[in-house]
Amino acid sequence: MSCLHLDSLTALRAHLARDHALLQVKADSDGNRRWMPADAGDAAPAGGQLPDFSAKALLFRERENLFTFDGSVFREQRPQPRPTVLFGVSACDLAAIHYQDRFFADDPWYRARRESLLLVGIDCLAPCEGGFCPLTDSGPFVRDGQADLVLHADDAQAGGGWLLFVQTARGERALAGFQGAVGADSTRATLRARREPGVVSQFADDGALRAGIAALNAGTVAAAQWQRLGVECITCSGCSNVCPTCSCFATRQESGAAGGVGTVRFWDSCLFEGFQREASGHNTSLQPGARIARFWSHKFGDDFAARFGHYTCVGCGRCDRACPSGIGAKATLRRLGGQQPGVVTTAAVDAAGRAGAAS
Amino acid sequence: MNTPALSAVSRAGRHVPDAVRLVEAYADGRDALHCTFEFVVPPAGGVTARPGQFFMLNVPGAGESAFTYSALPDAQGRFGALIRKTGTVTAALFASPVGSVLGARGPFGSAWPVEGLQGARVLVAGGGCGLAPLVSAVRALHGRAGRLAVLYSARDERARVLQRERAQWARDGIPLLDVLDAPHAIGPVPHLERVQAMLGGLPQHVLTCGPEAMMFALAHSLVQRGVPGEHIHLSLERRMHCGTGHCGHCYIGGAYCCTDGPVLDWPRVRALLGHAGH
Repeated sequence: MSCLHLDSLTALRAHLARDHALLQVKADSDGNRRWMPADAGDAAPAGGQLPDFSAKALLFRERENLFTFDGSVFREQRPQPRPTVLFGVSACDLAAIHYQDRFFADDPWYRARRESLLLVGIDCLAPCEGGFCPLTDSGPFVRDGQADLVLHADDAQAGGGWLLFVQTARGERALAGFQGAVGADSTRATLRARREPGVVSQFADDGALRAGIAALNAGTVAAAQWQRLGVECITCSGCSNVCPTCSCFATRQESGAAGGVGTVRFWDSCLFEGFQREASGHNTSLQPGARIARFWSHKFGDDFAARFGHYTCVGCGRCDRACPSGIGAKATLRRLGGQQPGVVTTAAVDAAGRAGAAS
Repeated sequence: MNTPALSAVSRAGRHVPDAVRLVEAYADGRDALHCTFEFVVPPAGGVTARPGQFFMLNVPGAGESAFTYSALPDAQGRFGALIRKTGTVTAALFASPVGSVLGARGPFGSAWPVEGLQGARVLVAGGGCGLAPLVSAVRALHGRAGRLAVLYSARDERARVLQRERAQWARDGIPLLDVLDAPHAIGPVPHLERVQAMLGGLPQHVLTCGPEAMMFALAHSLVQRGVPGEHIHLSLERRMHCGTGHCGHCYIGGAYCCTDGPVLDWPRVRALLGHAGH
């Protein structure tokens, strides 16, 4: 696949916007970074500045109509989204989409939305706050085959500009007729070999996180420790909502406007107490420790990694930012690996309070 | 994406229910109905299910739940299920008159390994309504297994289900041991000596479904007697929303009951549950 050099991204976005809705991560009026409609003249995307929410909701909708029943026939409700380009997707979020592509390979609703998307990735040239993508082999540079086109800020050239790597036939088709670039003599392999190790070396040491993963897979985490973590979880589902790979859902039926019955699915979380409760009341994951153990085993367990060829965590760090209890991925792995004290006890809080009152 | 084309992904009857009509329903044990359904429009090519597999029954307005086939779909597209009234969906089904149009997706999941049991001594052990997934296996094994015995334990007389099927087995000469649980000896374990006598030796293969505690006790006891663990097959039950391995609700360790199960062998069950086995 080829490589091009562009002086700016304006012409490229204008070209892609002819046949696609153009989305890019931008700050909204509240300062939240999210995927929003963009114009060719918007500021260029920046690698390493993740949106608060990944692109998950664009593919695996928070609420999806599945099918309807009119009293005699069930009819699929297949989404028909407009062709859309996600311009500037970070490597970790692309790794998450790559995982979801395999997980939902035979899901018609996900597939219909996925096939409408053109993915333009962007290499991150510095660690983002809280990210640990090298640990899960999800970044900081876009992995092969996980985007149609990949952007790389070209600071090797005088005057900067961008390298654009064409990664798929779909990416090549999207560029048909594009005149705003010249050929460049670079390949992803040589670029990654030359530049990525330097970026990786800027990430914080992840030895404590690796120790946590090792303990999880060795089965040396005591049930009591899982239970301590479990009771700290307030089951807000913030982690599973922001997680770009979490995919649990539930279904329910709703009366349709035309008098029929619609079946919808909506995001669920395996951390909810009733997630596995059966109609009989039997609940195999009643204990919070069992639920939290399963959640992190799903993210970092060797059996899941073997099944999907990758940890289901991509190291984006969103769960650590979202969790009000401070037990996101990194915090949990450090505790599992024995590198960090456990619960802040009420006694410790009281002692701190007494110390504060005395000063 | 190196995946099948979208047009090949969505198959009628897998993601979207086929319309089925409730054509018969009769009481069959405490709070249980034995239902027969038929496709309103028989799917082209028919529906091929294997013993032990399940389908998702859609009761419009109430929801979907997983049920095993008590009778596999036949050439006319008729199939059966034993259904206990335990929640919202089953309550709505019980209130549905014969003739109601409902939905069905499937078949899903793993099956009993009946093809590999030619000529073997096979024990089929069911507990309570756990006999339902075993009915089609007994049907398939009759005349195929070298020796076949059915051990059926229930909490009390009214908890017994599948009366017509058990009567048919008696007429067919299939050895059947119907037992009621003694207060401190729940399940089939206390009856294994009699079962061995019926089979003319230790069972070589075992198919079992019932409460997990019952199945685990049975598997443990049989392994102690010398039955290879991988020859003991259990059918597990979990909450399910999709049947296709996506919704996550039916996880058992690193596996999904709907796609990896519901039929799993004892070593796999032990590994998945981290069950000490004693």
